[in-house]
Amino acid sequence: MIVGKDHVVRLAAAGLVAGGHVLLQDLPGTGKTMLARALATSVGGTFRRIQCTPDLLPSDITGSSVFNQKDLTFEFVAGPIFANFVLADEVNRATPRTQSALLEAMGEGQVTIEGVTRMLGRPFFVIATQNPAEFHGTYPLPESQLDRFILAAEMGPPTNAEAMEVLARREHGDPIAELRSVVSLPDVIELQEGCLRVVAAPAIRTYIVSLMEAVRSRPEIALPASMRSGVYLQRAAQAWALFQGRDFVLPDDVKLLAVPVLAHRLGMRGRAKASDVLQEVVSALPLPPLRQH
Amino acid sequence: MAPVRLRLPASPVESSLEGRAFVFSAFSVAVLAVVLYGEDYVVPIIALAATAIGHVVSYRERAQKRGIRRQVLLAGLVFAALAYFLADSVGAIFGGVLPQANFAILLVAVTSFDLKTRRNCYSSMWISLAILYLAAVYAWDYPFGVLLALWAICLAGFWAASHLRRMEARVTLPTKAVATALGGALALGIVAFFLIPQANLEPSGPVLVSLPNFVGFRGEMENPALPLIQLSGDPSGATSSVDLHYRGRLGNAPVMYVRTGAPAYWRGLVFDKYENGVWTASKHSYTVLQPYVPPRFLPPAPPNNNGTFVQVFRVMRPLPGVISAAYPIQSLYAPVSALREDAYGTFRTPDVLRPGQTYSVVSYLPNITATELSRDPYVFNPPDENQAYLDRGTLSAEARALAERVTHDHSSNQYELVMALTNYLQQNFQYTQQLGHVPAGRDPIDWFLFDVKQGYCEQFATTEVMLLRSLGIPARLATGYSTGDYNPVLDQAVVRERDAHAWVEVWFANHGWVPVDPSPGFPALAATQFPNHWAAAGIARLIPHLTVGAPMAVLGSLGALAAIPVGVAIALLVTLLWAWARTRRRRTAAARATPGESELLRLYERVQRRLGRRRAPPETPLEYFHGRLPSPLPEGERELLGELTEAVNEGAYAGRWPEPSRVRELSKRLS
Repeated sequence: MIVGKDHVVRLAAAGLVAGGHVLLQDLPGTGKTMLARALATSVGGTFRRIQCTPDLLPSDITGSSVFNQKDLTFEFVAGPIFANFVLADEVNRATPRTQSALLEAMGEGQVTIEGVTRMLGRPFFVIATQNPAEFHGTYPLPESQLDRFILAAEMGPPTNAEAMEVLARREHGDPIAELRSVVSLPDVIELQEGCLRVVAAPAIRTYIVSLMEAVRSRPEIALPASMRSGVYLQRAAQAWALFQGRDFVLPDDVKLLAVPVLAHRLGMRGRAKASDVLQEVVSALPLPPLRQH
Repeated sequence: MAPVRLRLPASPVESSLEGRAFVFSAFSVAVLAVVLYGEDYVVPIIALAATAIGHVVSYRERAQKRGIRRQVLLAGLVFAALAYFLADSVGAIFGGVLPQANFAILLVAVTSFDLKTRRNCYSSMWISLAILYLAAVYAWDYPFGVLLALWAICLAGFWAASHLRRMEARVTLPTKAVATALGGALALGIVAFFLIPQANLEPSGPVLVSLPNFVGFRGEMENPALPLIQLSGDPSGATSSVDLHYRGRLGNAPVMYVRTGAPAYWRGLVFDKYENGVWTASKHSYTVLQPYVPPRFLPPAPPNNNGTFVQVFRVMRPLPGVISAAYPIQSLYAPVSALREDAYGTFRTPDVLRPGQTYSVVSYLPNITATELSRDPYVFNPPDENQAYLDRGTLSAEARALAERVTHDHSSNQYELVMALTNYLQQNFQYTQQLGHVPAGRDPIDWFLFDVKQGYCEQFATTEVMLLRSLGIPARLATGYSTGDYNPVLDQAVVRERDAHAWVEVWFANHGWVPVDPSPGFPALAATQFPNHWAAAGIARLIPHLTVGAPMAVLGSLGALAAIPVGVAIALLVTLLWAWARTRRRRTAAARATPGESELLRLYERVQRRLGRRRAPPETPLEYFHGRLPSPLPEGERELLGELTEAVNEGAYAGRWPEPSRVRELSKRLS
């Protein structure tokens, strides 16, 4: 469905299995929305899409009570957030107020509207897409809210061959219409539970902690990775290990996920790029000793 | 109240391999300096090897926590090095510099096993600098500057490797600017070289001008090292003489280097008998002494002296066996087979002094000043009952009259009289090194005084001695070298052939033999003065290399040498304890380990060694498996490595270690 972006697809799927939410960032037209839709469709479950614009209100997302004149009561009309898959398209075009409403729902798994707390669907998975902040008319997400996404992925430009393939597939219509769901919602929940059973050995925990510390000691980094990011890194590595058919995490998983999980949360000084710095830290960080006893 | 904790801020772990290489190179440079200049080999070379190992260990274990046992062992070794240093320095009669350098070298070797942080690396650099400083005491030439520059490059390299890499600074060299600066500096240097007079490089006379000297040149009589003195027979100079009728040419070649706290005249042979223009010594007796002459064998300290200073002489050319030194001597150490003190207080040896030979002398700084000497009464009887000191020889009546006339108004005390004569000679006669020969039959003194009115140092000195004797004042001729080119910053004098000199020693009732120099351009009162207050100050004498001598040797004989076995025993005990603790820990760890773990990891290590590339610390087993090996693997081995990698991953990251039988099976397949 998505041409040539297997890695990004896998990352997004890992985010789903790890029970987190995923942020896709790149230029418009690189396939972010297509990826989100394809993922949602192939899993089944309800899918809603929120197109974020500056005039979008929090109630447009969560829903609100409407007065029913027939029986003279207020009736709750659920917003698009009450779905298993939510695509928040161009989330950085929404106002901060709306963004926080969305992100709060993501963090808590529930929304409170007019004093009534309502549970969201299970699984609940948000894919937010974001244009680079340099574009006009955007409200960059604050670091604290970026921190709620388990991982962020960049689509990256397609190669020429990939671009040709995309054109060929679109010759006679949009192939997404033909997509069928391949996993059911209970399957996804089972996968999420299976992810929690993947072993992260003490050596892996040591490795993650030393990685966080190494990141913190880099002078280019103004805002270091939070504790939550360490938790997310472990969870994402578990999901990745599950994908690889393993029931334990390898340091390779942590290494591979360090950039997608950590890069978007780091505040950088100067012109340093978070992904470069992370890559450097990861490639220089010694593993904990193999011998445990 | 909260306890105040004094603690240095944490220093980052030094992970830069290049940086550590620079630290080791800096140490190597320092050790090279000690080896080259100190001619000290055993400790530096052993320590260098140990340091190399230490660096490897420190680098590989930089990420680990410091173990208490290792720290204890290292501390023990530092104490052992200290004990060795103490024993070494009390035993070192020649000076404490090499023991200090050895101690610093051992310190670097010990601490190289603990180079974890950047600060540790810097400490190592600074100790290397200290070693270089100590080696500089023995450095006599300019190439030492090259070593210093190398060290500086290592420091810069370490700084760049450690800091810049961490900051990811992109340092680019502005090629054009650097080239311009270098070219400009070179051009400026060339211009400056031609503009600045090169005094030290000037020959003492152009070759053509000095040709006349060749007419009377008697090669077989000239001694290149002691040009003023004709040696015959005994190389110790006991039968040598100074002949005023001719002299050899003097070159610029350095004869010796002197490390000294004070510039002085380096006195050699002394002559008292003058006959027909030839000086000889009348007394030939001597006493035989050991190479180390303690103060108790030498005349007592001059009253109110200003302390002592040390000279270390390094001979650069073959010299006759005359120990030139500043007088009066307090003690000396000359490593020669036989040391003799002649009747004039000069030390000699029947050996020839060879290039590279060193000896050291401690001399008094006598308190000889004009006011001091003015208090001395006239002396009219010769010291030691030696009539030669008053022998007037064949001095002409004209010369005597001249002496009377010059000193006529200056006879209130002996000092004034001596100075009147000295000043007269200095002011009315010209110093030259281009002098013809004394005509046959003419007395050399008369020829100098009344005919040519110019001469070189022997003429001046001889004339003054004879004139003083004619006035009844005991005097004699001293020869040796003038100070030479003295550099007060380095405390070093370069003595060249042309610094060969002759002067006068006058007997004063309370001060003994006082050097007086009638040659123009030299200080009239030639006794060693206070040139360098620091060298004479009390504190300087606390530094071993300034106070060679008795106190240290006495300590050594008292048994401080026993510290060596004690230190070695302590170090041995600590090592044994550590080794025992380590084996115990290993054993208990092995007992706790799941069966198969140790076997598997050992096999994994073995495979890595066999493949010729060890897994790097940041490399995961999978990355190692997929990574490049020095040579491609055959398919079977590749499969084996894959299985091994899988097993290691399962064990280390899932806690499922294989059965020992499975490890044995893998191991069998490997062989």
